[in-house]
Amino acid sequence: MEGIGINLPLLIAFVINFAILFTLLSVFLYKPVLKMLDERQARIKESMEQAEKMRQQAARSEEEIKAHLENARKEGQAIITQATQIGERLKQEARENARRETESLIDKARREIQRERDKAVTELRKEFANIAILAAEKVIGEALDKEKHRKVIDEVLKESTALK
Amino acid sequence: MNTGCGCSIKILAWVTIILLALLLTGLIIGPLGSKLLGVEAPSFLDIPKPHVQLPPEGIFHVASFTITNTLIASWLTILVLSGLFYTCTRKMKLVPGRAQNLAEVVVETLLNFVKSVAGENHARIIFPVVATIFLYVLTNAYLALLPFFGTVGISEHNGTFVPLLRSANTDINVPLSIALVSFVFVEYWGLRALGVFRYINSFFNLGQLRNGFVSLFKGKVRPAISGIGFGFINLFVGGLEVLSHFIRIISFTFRLFGNMTAGEILLLVVSFLIPFIASIPFYGLELLVGFLQAMIFAGLTLVFGVIAMAPHAEEPAHTSQ
Repeated sequence: MEGIGINLPLLIAFVINFAILFTLLSVFLYKPVLKMLDERQARIKESMEQAEKMRQQAARSEEEIKAHLENARKEGQAIITQATQIGERLKQEARENARRETESLIDKARREIQRERDKAVTELRKEFANIAILAAEKVIGEALDKEKHRKVIDEVLKESTALK
Repeated sequence: MNTGCGCSIKILAWVTIILLALLLTGLIIGPLGSKLLGVEAPSFLDIPKPHVQLPPEGIFHVASFTITNTLIASWLTILVLSGLFYTCTRKMKLVPGRAQNLAEVVVETLLNFVKSVAGENHARIIFPVVATIFLYVLTNAYLALLPFFGTVGISEHNGTFVPLLRSANTDINVPLSIALVSFVFVEYWGLRALGVFRYINSFFNLGQLRNGFVSLFKGKVRPAISGIGFGFINLFVGGLEVLSHFIRIISFTFRLFGNMTAGEILLLVVSFLIPFIASIPFYGLELLVGFLQAMIFAGLTLVFGVIAMAPHAEEPAHTSQ
Protein backbone atom coordinates (compact mmCIF):
# COMPACT_ATOMS: atom_id res chain seq x y z
CA MET A 1 0.00 0.00 0.00
CA GLU A 2 2.83 2.39 0.88
CA GLY A 3 4.68 1.41 -2.28
CA ILE A 4 2.08 2.86 -4.63
CA GLY A 5 1.24 5.70 -2.33
CA ILE A 6 -2.20 5.11 -0.88
CA ASN A 7 -2.50 7.65 1.87
CA LEU A 8 -5.67 8.18 3.88
CA PRO A 9 -5.45 11.97 4.49
CA LEU A 10 -4.63 12.52 0.83
CA LEU A 11 -7.50 10.25 -0.20
CA ILE A 12 -9.88 12.27 1.95
CA ALA A 13 -8.50 15.46 0.44
CA PHE A 14 -9.24 14.13 -3.06
CA VAL A 15 -12.75 13.07 -2.10
CA ILE A 16 -13.30 16.58 -0.79
CA ASN A 17 -11.85 17.94 -4.03
CA PHE A 18 -14.33 15.86 -6.00
CA ALA A 19 -17.16 17.12 -3.82
CA ILE A 20 -16.03 20.71 -4.38
CA LEU A 21 -15.83 20.18 -8.13
CA PHE A 22 -19.23 18.50 -8.11
CA THR A 23 -20.78 21.42 -6.27
CA LEU A 24 -19.10 24.06 -8.42
CA LEU A 25 -20.07 22.34 -11.66
CA SER A 26 -23.63 21.84 -10.41
CA VAL A 27 -23.91 25.53 -9.64
CA PHE A 28 -22.05 26.91 -12.65
CA LEU A 29 -22.74 24.37 -15.34
CA TYR A 30 -25.47 21.79 -14.89
CA LYS A 31 -28.13 23.84 -13.20
CA PRO A 32 -28.10 26.94 -15.43
CA VAL A 33 -27.59 25.00 -18.66
CA LEU A 34 -30.23 22.38 -17.93
CA LYS A 35 -32.62 25.12 -16.89
CA MET A 36 -31.90 26.96 -20.10
CA LEU A 37 -32.30 23.81 -22.20
CA ASP A 38 -35.63 23.05 -20.56
CA GLU A 39 -36.76 26.62 -20.97
CA ARG A 40 -35.80 26.64 -24.63
CA GLN A 41 -37.56 23.33 -25.18
CA ALA A 42 -40.68 24.72 -23.55
CA ARG A 43 -40.46 27.87 -25.64
CA ILE A 44 -40.07 25.96 -28.88
CA LYS A 45 -42.93 23.66 -28.01
CA GLU A 46 -45.11 26.61 -27.12
CA SER A 47 -44.34 28.53 -30.28
CA MET A 48 -44.93 25.44 -32.39
CA GLU A 49 -48.29 24.94 -30.74
CA GLN A 50 -49.08 28.58 -31.37
CA ALA A 51 -48.10 28.26 -35.01
CA GLU A 52 -50.35 25.23 -35.31
CA LYS A 53 -53.19 27.19 -33.77
CA MET A 54 -52.62 30.09 -36.18
CA ARG A 55 -52.57 27.66 -39.09
CA GLN A 56 -55.88 26.18 -38.02
CA GLN A 57 -57.37 29.63 -37.60
CA ALA A 58 -56.21 30.66 -41.04
CA ALA A 59 -57.73 27.51 -42.52
CA ARG A 60 -60.96 28.21 -40.71
CA SER A 61 -61.22 31.80 -41.95
CA GLU A 62 -60.40 30.68 -45.46
CA GLU A 63 -63.25 28.24 -45.20
CA GLU A 64 -65.52 31.04 -43.99
CA ILE A 65 -64.52 33.31 -46.84
CA LYS A 66 -65.18 30.52 -49.29
CA ALA A 67 -68.65 30.00 -47.82
CA HIS A 68 -69.33 33.73 -48.04
CA LEU A 69 -68.26 33.82 -51.67
CA GLU A 70 -70.43 30.82 -52.45
CA ASN A 71 -73.42 32.52 -50.80
CA ALA A 72 -72.84 35.73 -52.73
CA ARG A 73 -72.55 33.81 -55.96
CA LYS A 74 -75.81 32.01 -55.28
CA GLU A 75 -77.59 35.25 -54.40
CA GLY A 76 -76.34 36.92 -57.56
CA GLN A 77 -77.49 33.96 -59.58
CA ALA A 78 -80.93 34.18 -57.98
CA ILE A 79 -81.16 37.90 -58.71
CA ILE A 80 -80.18 37.37 -62.32
CA THR A 81 -82.75 34.63 -62.72
CA GLN A 82 -85.44 36.81 -61.18
CA ALA A 83 -84.53 39.75 -63.40
CA THR A 84 -84.62 37.56 -66.48
CA GLN A 85 -88.05 36.32 -65.47
CA ILE A 86 -89.32 39.83 -64.91
CA GLY A 87 -87.91 40.94 -68.25
CA GLU A 88 -89.53 38.01 -69.95
CA ARG A 89 -92.88 38.84 -68.38
CA LEU A 90 -92.61 42.51 -69.36
CA LYS A 91 -91.79 41.56 -72.91
CA GLN A 92 -94.76 39.24 -73.00
CA GLU A 93 -97.05 41.91 -71.63
CA ALA A 94 -95.80 44.50 -74.10
CA ARG A 95 -96.31 42.10 -76.93
CA GLU A 96 -99.84 41.36 -75.69
CA ASN A 97 -100.66 45.05 -75.41
CA ALA A 98 -99.40 45.79 -78.87
CA ARG A 99 -101.36 42.91 -80.27
CA ARG A 100 -104.56 44.07 -78.55
CA GLU A 101 -104.05 47.64 -79.71
CA THR A 102 -103.53 46.64 -83.29
CA GLU A 103 -106.56 44.45 -83.14
CA SER A 104 -108.69 47.30 -81.83
CA LEU A 105 -107.26 49.62 -84.46
CA ILE A 106 -108.06 47.13 -87.18
CA ASP A 107 -111.55 46.73 -85.75
CA LYS A 108 -112.13 50.44 -85.71
CA ALA A 109 -110.88 50.77 -89.26
CA ARG A 110 -113.07 47.96 -90.37
CA ARG A 111 -116.11 49.56 -88.75
CA GLU A 112 -115.23 52.90 -90.33
CA ILE A 113 -115.04 51.29 -93.72
CA GLN A 114 -118.37 49.58 -93.12
CA ARG A 115 -119.95 52.83 -92.16
CA GLU A 116 -118.44 54.67 -95.13
CA ARG A 117 -119.69 51.97 -97.41
CA ASP A 118 -123.19 52.08 -95.90
CA LYS A 119 -123.25 55.80 -96.26
CA ALA A 120 -122.09 55.58 -99.83
CA VAL A 121 -124.69 52.93 -100.64
CA THR A 122 -127.47 55.00 -99.07
CA GLU A 123 -126.40 58.06 -100.95
CA LEU A 124 -126.06 56.14 -104.14
CA ARG A 125 -129.51 54.69 -103.62
CA LYS A 126 -130.97 58.15 -103.02
CA GLU A 127 -129.23 59.47 -106.14
CA PHE A 128 -130.41 56.47 -108.08
CA ALA A 129 -134.01 57.07 -106.96
CA ASN A 130 -133.85 60.66 -108.00
CA ILE A 131 -132.42 59.71 -111.33
CA ALA A 132 -135.07 57.07 -111.77
CA ILE A 133 -137.84 59.49 -110.85
CA LEU A 134 -136.43 62.01 -113.21
CA ALA A 135 -136.29 59.41 -115.92
CA ALA A 136 -139.82 58.22 -115.21
CA GLU A 137 -141.18 61.75 -115.22
CA LYS A 138 -139.55 62.23 -118.54
CA VAL A 139 -141.11 59.02 -119.82
CA ILE A 140 -144.60 59.31 -118.36
CA GLY A 141 -144.77 63.05 -118.31
CA GLU A 142 -146.04 64.22 -115.07
CA ALA A 143 -148.51 61.37 -114.82
CA LEU A 144 -147.89 60.73 -111.34
CA ASP A 145 -147.48 63.27 -108.67
CA LYS A 146 -144.18 63.48 -106.95
CA GLU A 147 -145.37 62.26 -103.56
CA LYS A 148 -146.99 59.11 -104.79
CA HIS A 149 -144.03 58.29 -106.92
CA ARG A 150 -141.59 58.54 -104.05
CA LYS A 151 -143.74 56.20 -102.02
CA VAL A 152 -143.67 53.62 -104.76
CA ILE A 153 -139.90 53.81 -105.10
CA ASP A 154 -139.38 53.55 -101.36
CA GLU A 155 -141.49 50.41 -101.32
CA VAL A 156 -139.42 48.94 -104.07
CA LEU A 157 -136.21 49.84 -102.28
CA LYS A 158 -137.49 48.25 -99.05
CA GLU A 159 -138.09 45.06 -100.93
CA SER A 160 -134.67 45.33 -102.46
CA THR A 161 -133.04 45.73 -99.03
CA ALA A 162 -135.00 42.77 -97.85
CA LEU A 163 -133.49 40.92 -100.77
CA LYS A 164 -130.02 42.09 -99.96
CA MET B 1 -2.53 32.16 -56.74
CA ASN B 2 0.38 30.32 -58.28
CA THR B 3 3.02 32.13 -56.31
CA GLY B 4 1.05 31.71 -53.09
CA CYS B 5 0.78 28.02 -53.71
CA GLY B 6 4.49 27.72 -54.44
CA CYS B 7 5.26 29.77 -51.36
CA SER B 8 3.22 27.51 -49.07
CA ILE B 9 4.83 24.43 -50.55
CA LYS B 10 8.23 26.00 -49.96
CA ILE B 11 7.32 26.73 -46.33
CA LEU B 12 6.07 23.21 -45.90
CA ALA B 13 9.31 21.81 -47.29
CA TRP B 14 11.38 23.98 -44.94
CA VAL B 15 9.31 22.96 -41.95
CA THR B 16 9.68 19.31 -42.87
CA ILE B 17 13.43 19.68 -43.27
CA ILE B 18 13.77 21.44 -39.92
CA LEU B 19 11.64 18.82 -38.18
CA LEU B 20 13.64 15.99 -39.74
CA ALA B 21 16.89 17.68 -38.76
CA LEU B 22 15.67 18.06 -35.19
CA LEU B 23 14.59 14.43 -35.12
CA LEU B 24 17.96 13.34 -36.48
CA THR B 25 19.83 15.51 -33.98
CA GLY B 26 17.71 14.06 -31.24
CA LEU B 27 18.50 10.58 -32.43
CA ILE B 28 22.25 11.21 -32.58
CA ILE B 29 22.90 13.24 -29.45
CA GLY B 30 20.16 11.72 -27.33
CA PRO B 31 20.91 8.85 -24.98
CA LEU B 32 19.94 6.35 -27.70
CA GLY B 33 22.38 7.77 -30.25
CA SER B 34 25.22 8.40 -27.83
CA LYS B 35 25.01 4.83 -26.63
CA LEU B 36 24.92 3.31 -30.11
CA LEU B 37 27.27 5.70 -31.93
CA GLY B 38 29.46 6.81 -29.06
CA VAL B 39 28.76 10.51 -29.66
CA GLU B 40 29.21 12.68 -26.61
CA ALA B 41 26.39 15.16 -26.20
CA PRO B 42 27.27 18.71 -25.23
CA SER B 43 26.87 19.21 -21.52
CA PHE B 44 23.97 21.73 -21.74
CA LEU B 45 21.89 19.04 -23.44
CA ASP B 46 22.57 16.57 -20.68
CA ILE B 47 19.22 15.02 -19.91
CA PRO B 48 18.54 13.66 -16.44
CA LYS B 49 17.61 9.99 -16.37
CA PRO B 50 13.89 9.51 -15.87
CA HIS B 51 12.90 7.85 -12.66
CA VAL B 52 9.53 6.31 -11.99
CA GLN B 53 7.91 7.72 -8.90
CA LEU B 54 4.58 6.14 -7.98
CA PRO B 55 3.63 7.95 -4.75
CA PRO B 56 3.15 11.70 -5.22
CA GLU B 57 5.84 14.00 -3.91
CA GLY B 58 5.10 16.44 -1.14
CA ILE B 59 5.66 20.11 -1.90
CA PHE B 60 5.01 21.65 1.49
CA HIS B 61 3.35 20.81 4.77
CA VAL B 62 0.37 22.25 6.54
CA ALA B 63 0.57 21.00 10.12
CA SER B 64 0.99 17.23 9.70
CA PHE B 65 -0.74 17.18 6.31
CA THR B 66 1.43 17.08 3.19
CA ILE B 67 0.33 19.05 0.16
CA THR B 68 1.44 16.97 -2.81
CA ASN B 69 2.00 18.04 -6.39
CA THR B 70 -0.96 15.91 -7.52
CA LEU B 71 -3.23 17.71 -5.06
CA ILE B 72 -2.12 21.03 -6.50
CA ALA B 73 -2.80 19.69 -10.01
CA SER B 74 -6.27 18.61 -8.96
CA TRP B 75 -6.94 22.09 -7.57
CA LEU B 76 -5.80 23.48 -10.88
CA THR B 77 -8.28 21.18 -12.62
CA ILE B 78 -11.08 22.42 -10.40
CA LEU B 79 -10.04 26.01 -11.01
CA VAL B 80 -9.87 25.57 -14.77
CA LEU B 81 -13.21 23.74 -15.04
CA SER B 82 -15.21 25.97 -12.75
CA GLY B 83 -13.57 29.12 -14.13
CA LEU B 84 -14.25 28.09 -17.71
CA PHE B 85 -17.89 27.18 -17.13
CA TYR B 86 -18.45 30.13 -14.83
CA THR B 87 -17.50 32.50 -17.62
CA CYS B 88 -19.55 30.45 -20.08
CA THR B 89 -22.77 30.52 -18.06
CA ARG B 90 -22.45 33.88 -16.35
CA LYS B 91 -25.00 35.53 -18.59
CA MET B 92 -27.43 32.89 -19.78
CA LYS B 93 -29.54 33.89 -22.76
CA LEU B 94 -32.26 32.11 -24.65
CA VAL B 95 -30.30 32.71 -27.84
CA PRO B 96 -26.86 31.47 -26.84
CA GLY B 97 -23.60 33.21 -27.57
CA ARG B 98 -20.39 31.36 -28.38
CA ALA B 99 -19.30 30.72 -24.80
CA GLN B 100 -22.75 29.65 -23.68
CA ASN B 101 -22.96 27.35 -26.68
CA LEU B 102 -19.80 25.58 -25.54
CA ALA B 103 -21.32 24.90 -22.12
CA GLU B 104 -24.56 23.77 -23.72
CA VAL B 105 -22.82 21.43 -26.12
CA VAL B 106 -20.87 19.84 -23.25
CA VAL B 107 -23.97 19.40 -21.11
CA GLU B 108 -26.23 18.28 -23.91
CA THR B 109 -23.77 15.73 -25.30
CA LEU B 110 -23.22 14.21 -21.86
CA LEU B 111 -26.93 14.32 -21.06
CA ASN B 112 -27.79 12.56 -24.32
CA PHE B 113 -25.16 9.93 -23.56
CA VAL B 114 -26.67 9.38 -20.10
CA LYS B 115 -30.19 9.36 -21.54
CA SER B 116 -29.28 6.77 -24.16
CA VAL B 117 -28.29 4.35 -21.39
CA ALA B 118 -30.48 5.29 -18.43
CA GLY B 119 -33.62 6.45 -20.20
CA GLU B 120 -35.52 9.68 -19.59
CA ASN B 121 -36.61 8.89 -16.02
CA HIS B 122 -33.27 8.25 -14.36
CA ALA B 123 -31.11 10.48 -16.58
CA ARG B 124 -31.45 13.65 -14.50
CA ILE B 125 -30.56 11.80 -11.29
CA ILE B 126 -27.46 10.10 -12.65
CA PHE B 127 -26.28 12.89 -14.95
CA PRO B 128 -24.42 15.27 -12.57
CA VAL B 129 -22.21 12.55 -11.09
CA VAL B 130 -21.38 10.94 -14.43
CA ALA B 131 -20.68 14.31 -16.05
CA THR B 132 -18.47 15.42 -13.17
CA ILE B 133 -16.47 12.18 -13.30
CA PHE B 134 -16.03 12.55 -17.05
CA LEU B 135 -14.95 16.19 -16.91
CA TYR B 136 -12.67 15.64 -13.89
CA VAL B 137 -10.81 12.67 -15.34
CA LEU B 138 -10.59 14.23 -18.79
CA THR B 139 -9.30 17.57 -17.54
CA ASN B 140 -6.81 15.88 -15.20
CA ALA B 141 -5.46 13.91 -18.14
CA TYR B 142 -5.37 16.79 -20.63
CA LEU B 143 -3.87 19.36 -18.29
CA ALA B 144 -1.06 16.88 -17.59
CA LEU B 145 -0.04 17.14 -21.25
CA LEU B 146 0.73 20.84 -20.90
CA PRO B 147 4.45 21.71 -20.91
CA PHE B 148 4.70 23.00 -17.34
CA PHE B 149 3.54 19.71 -15.85
CA GLY B 150 6.48 17.73 -14.53
CA THR B 151 9.02 20.35 -15.63
CA VAL B 152 8.54 23.28 -13.29
CA GLY B 153 9.62 22.27 -9.80
CA ILE B 154 11.94 22.45 -6.88
CA SER B 155 15.40 20.96 -6.62
CA GLU B 156 15.87 19.59 -3.18
CA HIS B 157 19.08 19.59 -1.19
CA ASN B 158 19.92 15.99 -1.88
CA GLY B 159 19.87 16.68 -5.62
CA THR B 160 16.46 15.18 -6.47
CA PHE B 161 14.04 17.20 -8.52
CA VAL B 162 10.43 17.57 -7.38
CA PRO B 163 7.96 18.85 -10.01
CA LEU B 164 5.39 21.34 -8.78
CA LEU B 165 2.61 19.81 -10.82
CA ARG B 166 2.01 16.19 -11.69
CA SER B 167 -0.88 14.54 -13.52
CA ALA B 168 -3.49 13.99 -10.83
CA ASN B 169 -4.66 10.74 -12.43
CA THR B 170 -1.24 9.17 -11.80
CA ASP B 171 -1.71 9.46 -8.06
CA ILE B 172 -3.48 6.30 -6.91
CA ASN B 173 -5.49 8.34 -4.42
CA VAL B 174 -7.31 10.19 -7.21
CA PRO B 175 -8.69 7.15 -9.07
CA LEU B 176 -9.44 5.58 -5.70
CA SER B 177 -11.35 8.64 -4.52
CA ILE B 178 -13.39 8.77 -7.73
CA ALA B 179 -14.01 5.02 -7.52
CA LEU B 180 -15.26 5.39 -3.94
CA VAL B 181 -17.55 8.25 -4.95
CA SER B 182 -18.82 6.16 -7.86
CA PHE B 183 -19.43 3.18 -5.54
CA VAL B 184 -21.28 5.29 -2.98
CA PHE B 185 -23.47 6.89 -5.60
CA VAL B 186 -24.28 3.59 -7.31
CA GLU B 187 -25.43 2.06 -4.00
CA TYR B 188 -27.30 5.26 -3.13
CA TRP B 189 -29.15 5.27 -6.43
CA GLY B 190 -30.06 1.61 -5.99
CA LEU B 191 -31.37 2.18 -2.47
CA ARG B 192 -33.24 5.28 -3.53
CA ALA B 193 -34.89 3.69 -6.56
CA LEU B 194 -35.82 0.34 -5.00
CA GLY B 195 -35.99 0.95 -1.24
CA VAL B 196 -33.77 -0.75 1.35
CA PHE B 197 -35.47 -4.14 1.48
CA ARG B 198 -35.96 -4.56 -2.26
CA TYR B 199 -32.41 -3.41 -2.96
CA ILE B 200 -30.96 -5.98 -0.52
CA ASN B 201 -33.33 -8.58 -1.92
CA SER B 202 -32.02 -7.86 -5.41
CA PHE B 203 -28.74 -9.36 -4.21
CA PHE B 204 -29.88 -12.28 -2.10
CA ASN B 205 -33.41 -13.10 -3.32
CA LEU B 206 -34.50 -14.00 0.23
CA GLY B 207 -38.00 -14.90 -0.93
CA GLN B 208 -37.02 -18.43 -1.86
CA LEU B 209 -35.47 -19.12 1.54
CA ARG B 210 -38.55 -17.74 3.28
CA ASN B 211 -40.82 -19.90 1.13
CA GLY B 212 -38.70 -22.90 2.08
CA PHE B 213 -39.16 -22.25 5.79
CA VAL B 214 -42.90 -21.63 5.31
CA SER B 215 -43.18 -25.01 3.56
CA LEU B 216 -41.22 -26.63 6.41
CA PHE B 217 -43.72 -25.36 8.98
CA LYS B 218 -46.59 -26.56 6.86
CA GLY B 219 -44.99 -29.97 6.78
CA LYS B 220 -44.36 -30.13 3.03
CA VAL B 221 -40.96 -31.78 2.92
CA ARG B 222 -39.91 -31.58 -0.71
CA PRO B 223 -40.70 -27.89 -1.37
CA ALA B 224 -39.10 -27.15 2.00
CA ILE B 225 -35.85 -28.90 1.10
CA SER B 226 -35.67 -27.36 -2.38
CA GLY B 227 -36.64 -23.92 -1.09
CA ILE B 228 -34.10 -23.88 1.69
CA GLY B 229 -31.45 -25.37 -0.58
CA PHE B 230 -31.95 -22.79 -3.32
CA GLY B 231 -32.28 -20.12 -0.66
CA PHE B 232 -28.80 -20.86 0.62
CA ILE B 233 -27.43 -20.96 -2.91
CA ASN B 234 -29.00 -17.55 -3.45
CA LEU B 235 -27.38 -16.31 -0.26
CA PHE B 236 -24.00 -17.47 -1.55
CA VAL B 237 -24.57 -15.89 -4.99
CA GLY B 238 -25.66 -12.69 -3.28
CA GLY B 239 -22.45 -12.71 -1.28
CA LEU B 240 -20.48 -12.95 -4.52
CA GLU B 241 -22.57 -10.10 -5.93
CA VAL B 242 -21.77 -7.92 -2.93
CA LEU B 243 -18.12 -8.80 -3.28
CA SER B 244 -18.20 -7.84 -6.95
CA HIS B 245 -19.51 -4.41 -6.03
CA PHE B 246 -16.44 -3.91 -3.82
CA ILE B 247 -14.12 -5.33 -6.44
CA ARG B 248 -15.45 -2.69 -8.84
CA ILE B 249 -13.71 -0.08 -6.68
CA ILE B 250 -10.38 -1.81 -7.17
CA SER B 251 -10.86 -2.35 -10.90
CA PHE B 252 -11.95 1.27 -11.39
CA THR B 253 -8.91 2.47 -9.46
CA PHE B 254 -6.29 0.41 -11.18
CA ARG B 255 -7.70 0.79 -14.68
CA LEU B 256 -7.37 4.56 -14.54
CA PHE B 257 -4.19 4.61 -12.48
CA GLY B 258 -2.50 2.03 -14.68
CA ASN B 259 -3.40 3.66 -17.97
CA MET B 260 -2.43 7.13 -16.88
CA THR B 261 0.78 6.12 -15.18
CA ALA B 262 1.78 4.00 -18.16
CA GLY B 263 1.12 6.93 -20.49
CA GLU B 264 3.18 9.23 -18.31
CA ILE B 265 6.09 6.80 -18.20
CA LEU B 266 5.86 6.22 -21.94
CA LEU B 267 6.14 9.95 -22.64
CA LEU B 268 8.98 10.25 -20.17
CA VAL B 269 10.95 7.42 -21.72
CA VAL B 270 10.34 8.44 -25.33
CA SER B 271 11.35 12.04 -24.73
CA PHE B 272 14.40 10.82 -22.86
CA LEU B 273 15.56 8.48 -25.60
CA ILE B 274 14.92 10.89 -28.49
CA PRO B 275 14.71 14.43 -27.10
CA PHE B 276 12.97 16.13 -30.04
CA ILE B 277 9.88 15.48 -32.17
CA ALA B 278 9.56 11.73 -31.52
CA SER B 279 7.26 12.20 -28.53
CA ILE B 280 4.63 14.15 -30.52
CA PRO B 281 2.72 11.08 -31.78
CA PHE B 282 2.69 9.76 -28.23
CA TYR B 283 1.09 13.00 -27.03
CA GLY B 284 -1.63 12.34 -29.61
CA LEU B 285 -1.98 8.84 -28.22
CA GLU B 286 -2.27 10.27 -24.71
CA LEU B 287 -5.09 12.57 -25.86
CA LEU B 288 -6.96 9.51 -27.05
CA VAL B 289 -6.20 7.51 -23.90
CA GLY B 290 -7.28 10.37 -21.64
CA PHE B 291 -10.59 10.70 -23.47
CA LEU B 292 -11.14 6.93 -23.46
CA GLN B 293 -10.40 6.57 -19.75
CA ALA B 294 -12.72 9.43 -18.86
CA MET B 295 -15.39 7.85 -21.06
CA ILE B 296 -14.87 4.41 -19.49
CA PHE B 297 -14.95 5.68 -15.92
CA ALA B 298 -18.08 7.76 -16.48
CA GLY B 299 -19.71 5.12 -18.68
CA LEU B 300 -19.16 2.27 -16.23
CA THR B 301 -20.50 4.36 -13.35
CA LEU B 302 -23.53 5.08 -15.49
CA VAL B 303 -24.08 1.43 -16.39
CA PHE B 304 -23.62 0.22 -12.80
CA GLY B 305 -26.02 2.90 -11.64
CA VAL B 306 -28.64 1.86 -14.19
CA ILE B 307 -28.26 -1.80 -13.20
CA ALA B 308 -28.63 -0.90 -9.52
CA MET B 309 -31.77 1.10 -10.24
CA ALA B 310 -33.40 -1.50 -12.47
CA PRO B 311 -36.22 -3.39 -10.77
CA HIS B 312 -35.28 -7.07 -10.41
CA ALA B 313 -37.53 -10.02 -11.14
CA GLU B 314 -39.58 -10.48 -8.00
CA GLU B 315 -39.23 -13.84 -6.27
CA PRO B 316 -39.53 -16.43 -9.01
CA ALA B 317 -39.87 -19.03 -6.18
CA HIS B 318 -43.66 -18.59 -6.25
CA THR B 319 -43.94 -20.24 -9.64
CA SER B 320 -41.67 -23.16 -8.79
CA GLN B 321 -44.13 -24.72 -6.37
